[in-house]
Amino acid sequence: MITEVLWWIVAAGVVGASAGVVLSRSVVHAAIFLILSLAGVGAIYLFLTVEFIALVQFLIYGGAVTVLILLALMLTRMGASGRPEPLTGAQAPFGALVAAALMATLIGVAVATAWPGDLGGSPTAISIERIGAALFQNYGAPFIIMAALLLVAFVGAIVIARQEDGD
Amino acid sequence: MVPLENYLVLSAILFALGVYGVLSRRNAVLVLMSVELMLNAVSLNFVAFAAHLDPDRATGIVFAVFVIAVAAAEVGLALAIVIRLFRNRSSANVDEAATLRW
Repeated sequence: MITEVLWWIVAAGVVGASAGVVLSRSVVHAAIFLILSLAGVGAIYLFLTVEFIALVQFLIYGGAVTVLILLALMLTRMGASGRPEPLTGAQAPFGALVAAALMATLIGVAVATAWPGDLGGSPTAISIERIGAALFQNYGAPFIIMAALLLVAFVGAIVIARQEDGD
Repeated sequence: MVPLENYLVLSAILFALGVYGVLSRRNAVLVLMSVELMLNAVSLNFVAFAAHLDPDRATGIVFAVFVIAVAAAEVGLALAIVIRLFRNRSSANVDEAATLRW
């Protein structure tokens, strides 16, 4: 019972923070809302009893990615005119229409489908040992490819963002 | 206990909010943040399915780890491009980056 109440509180917080990300009029406020939203999703992972993913979420999303985004915001804050540019374009109403249609479809499918194997019970705890076995045995090759992808992406990021002489 | 549908509906709401942000925002960094919301919704879906339907093989968990890794690579690369764009154009507005060459 207390778990359900807590779940609804966290879920409402996640939805509110996410709405803040897309509706906020200040880029810095949007970034702060993003941290809240990502941490909230990490808390939702705890309800699913996958502590490993929750920890990764807090570390990588709540820490590294948001710091990166905040730094980029600081570097690209002002336009050429020296004053902040409008953050939302004239296409926003159409975007809202598309997003609302998509949300209605997804929720309809999620609620109406009888998911195979769903016993309606609470989630089964997945131990870190089992995640490690899956990651390094069943999915070892994709894991190595993923490591190579990360390395290539960050070397590429350095090359792209580097200040060239005479540029 | 919280049923599977709750997680799916929460994930659908997050994904739709992300779609709205991507479609309506003009600042490239804000578009990226909305993409992060969408990726999060997807990996929440994966983990919810894994914990409820497939706890023996943990495939959805591995997918979530991969989504997080790809999202980190994507955000690093994309922010480098945004910084480069800002240096060349003094603006992070995606509407102004309509040409690949100038």
